[in-house]
Amino acid sequence: MLAFVDEQEILDFRAHCAATGKSPQDVAGVACEWEGEGVLHFHQKRPLHGYGKESPCLFTDDCAALEDPVCIEKYGYIVVVAEKTVAAFAQYPKDSAVRKECVWQNIDLQYIPSRENLYSRSQGILEVGALAAKRVAIVGLGSFGSQIAIELAKAGIGEFSLLDFDRVELHNLMRHTCGINDLGRLKTDALYDAILGKNPYAKVDKFPVDINQNLKLLDQEVSRADLVICATDNNKSRFNLNEAVVRNRKVCLYGRANTRAAGGDVFRYVPDGPCYNCLLGNAWYDAESEEITNVESARHNGQIAAYVSAEDAAAKVQVGLSADIAPICNMMVKIALVELSRGIDSGISSLEHELVYDYYMWANRRENRFENWSAMPGAGAKPTILRWYGCRIQKLEGCAQCGKSGFAELDEGDDVEEMLKKISSC
Amino acid sequence: MFEGLFSLLSSHSDDDDDDECAGPPPARIQQEIAVLQKKNVPEHAYHFFLDEKKPYVVFAARTKKRVYTLRIELSGFPNNVPKVFVTKMLKDKYGEKLDSADGSMHVLESEHGWTRICHYGDASWTPNVSLYKIYVKCCLWLNMYELHLETGNDIEYYLNHQK
Repeated sequence: MLAFVDEQEILDFRAHCAATGKSPQDVAGVACEWEGEGVLHFHQKRPLHGYGKESPCLFTDDCAALEDPVCIEKYGYIVVVAEKTVAAFAQYPKDSAVRKECVWQNIDLQYIPSRENLYSRSQGILEVGALAAKRVAIVGLGSFGSQIAIELAKAGIGEFSLLDFDRVELHNLMRHTCGINDLGRLKTDALYDAILGKNPYAKVDKFPVDINQNLKLLDQEVSRADLVICATDNNKSRFNLNEAVVRNRKVCLYGRANTRAAGGDVFRYVPDGPCYNCLLGNAWYDAESEEITNVESARHNGQIAAYVSAEDAAAKVQVGLSADIAPICNMMVKIALVELSRGIDSGISSLEHELVYDYYMWANRRENRFENWSAMPGAGAKPTILRWYGCRIQKLEGCAQCGKSGFAELDEGDDVEEMLKKISSC
Repeated sequence: MFEGLFSLLSSHSDDDDDDECAGPPPARIQQEIAVLQKKNVPEHAYHFFLDEKKPYVVFAARTKKRVYTLRIELSGFPNNVPKVFVTKMLKDKYGEKLDSADGSMHVLESEHGWTRICHYGDASWTPNVSLYKIYVKCCLWLNMYELHLETGNDIEYYLNHQK
């Protein structure tokens, strides 16, 4: 039998004794058992989403409970928390109709680590204590946002703000961190559980809203964040988010994949640097060949024009594999951790000297714009696929989003005026 | 000339816009007006309705044959591609209403009984595009529409020949 008890709950149980000088009240908890697998988890509070077969379990500091007929009748498991030791007991045989015939069998316990120990293996690389105080807002919880959220939770980020109005659908599953059991759930709820599954001490705020309809909320969550992840699939929301991060002077990472995830890119906005609107029109940035993953949302956002037939629209949905977008998500996580650790001496500080660019392009497969690129063997100095390329982006003179208010250099349509003159003379 | 038309249009309201109804900031409006003045668009040819629940601007657009009214909705502008309507239901050369999305005619699903012009795609839109440019593009569309009425060639045909 493998049995686990939450170390933090045990510490809190003892802390209560130390603070009050009294024994705490016995706590009626829950034992969650994967039947047939011989695995048990003991909790003082029932997990939000139960798993396995649940049965009553008593947490007590008094061994007398093992002799107490009421406890014997009521509980299948008793966890005895002493000053320095914890012991767990299971009734055996547990299905006996006559409880008096049962005997308590001691079972070996392992700890679900406490907050201090959860990230012990990351120490030396990440300053996990500092990251626990950081808050990240993630806008869009699709295949990009979900992977990034989980990786950041694994790295020890302590607070999250999750924004997405969508639900987990069947077509999401092969690239999403959520599974079959999450089908139909709000992505914010499903990711909430997934993050807490990695870091039960994380603080996660959920906002199942369309940010385009809730610009005030978006602004509020951006202002509270130390870093913002833009993982939405359309420019409408990116421009709204861009405006909010510029106004609130927050670092924001934008990531996306190209059609069939033949490539992808990551853009980092830092206050006073070029913004997402400055990036558009840059030769490196291929706005036209953005990966479309969902016809309905693409139509809603204008990525697929309303007059495109259902058949042609379906043909535009050309998504890459989860493995294709993983490098892009991974790059975003790396940059996020470097940004969140900036000024803190940690094992990833050296990456500050590597990740100096505003824009990173990932060449994933030799197709579309990378079709004529050299194969890696023998390419020499020529560009090849399966590599990152970084560049600096110029700030757009008179940018309507990061330029001085009221001094945007507007596109006055001189080219279209010429066309109008010609057609008017017809 | 357009005053009566503007007051009629201002009473219109719609309820299916899904965006938070923030219009452009005042500084942007001032810039847009400055561009219109620089381009010699007469003041009486446009009017901003900024105090409405859903702000918009109305332009008069003159072709060789007619005068049309264009309504540009400003909710979410300039971060979003604004909706543009000719404030009547236009018909094509064959008498069919231009009320549904059609790539060859560059129109989208109509709203309020008005023909909606498809003037910008999502991927090519940026917040630096001026209302004046949208206005000129729509004037171009109206001229092509009138040529279509004469010849039967669609808007796409004329756009391709312009390029």
